[in-house]
Amino acid sequence: MSAGYIDELHEAFHSDLVYRSEEIPLECSPKPKEMEQTLHGVMKLNGLVIRSLEEIAGRGANAVTYRAGKKFGHEVAKYFQKREDVEGALHELSDLLRGQYSFEVWKPEDKETFIIEENGETFIYLVFHDCIVRQTLRRNGLDQGGPLCQTLFGYVVGAIEEITGRKAKLEIVHTGPNACLKKLVLK
Amino acid sequence: MDIHVDKDACVGCGLCVKDCPMHVYELQDSVSVAVRPNNCMGCLSCHEICPAQALEHRGIYAARRHYIDIKVCEMLRKVV
Repeated sequence: MSAGYIDELHEAFHSDLVYRSEEIPLECSPKPKEMEQTLHGVMKLNGLVIRSLEEIAGRGANAVTYRAGKKFGHEVAKYFQKREDVEGALHELSDLLRGQYSFEVWKPEDKETFIIEENGETFIYLVFHDCIVRQTLRRNGLDQGGPLCQTLFGYVVGAIEEITGRKAKLEIVHTGPNACLKKLVLK
Repeated sequence: MDIHVDKDACVGCGLCVKDCPMHVYELQDSVSVAVRPNNCMGCLSCHEICPAQALEHRGIYAARRHYIDIKVCEMLRKVV
């Protein structure tokens, strides 16, 4: 390795900036536009981790990722206000997921209410519009509905359980490039 | 939601009819017709599956797309 290259490296990582540990940063560095490569790197890495997990653990991968997501959901939502009503809980959840996922409560036109009772189960349809999981899967050419989606399922279920104190289950109804339809089953 | 099917382009394959979980489309005289547009939740999987690219949705929320590689798209634009 030439000395010139080492000097160049040293210069690239040297600045006159004074950094104090007590200073609290108020904005991301660098600017979001410059983060594009980092974002793609993270998405690629996540995709590879999930693909490898699926190769090694097979269908068990779903259980692992679901569990991880659920734990995360419980962990994050425990700092949020506890609500008994599902509508309020979904509102809390929407705040919780802001920036990563956006969803709306949805119903087919033949249903009168958003809380649907059918075949002995009570459920709500949720349409997920913005979803970092979908972005990651499409970035890596992976199928939707696999283990990475299970992390989101677990996350939502964990958060809902934590906020309402009720058991819940999330089922995938349909996936698409622009939105996914999910069914939140309340127990 | 306003869904427009280009009748001249539609090949009547029925893939959108089979794919849509909310039964938005029906085949009428071998052409797809959006019979329940209000049931559409805007997933756009019908766009992805349509071999004739005969569909158009208006008034839809376009989800954020982080996965687009801008450098690749810039190169493709030069070619296409």
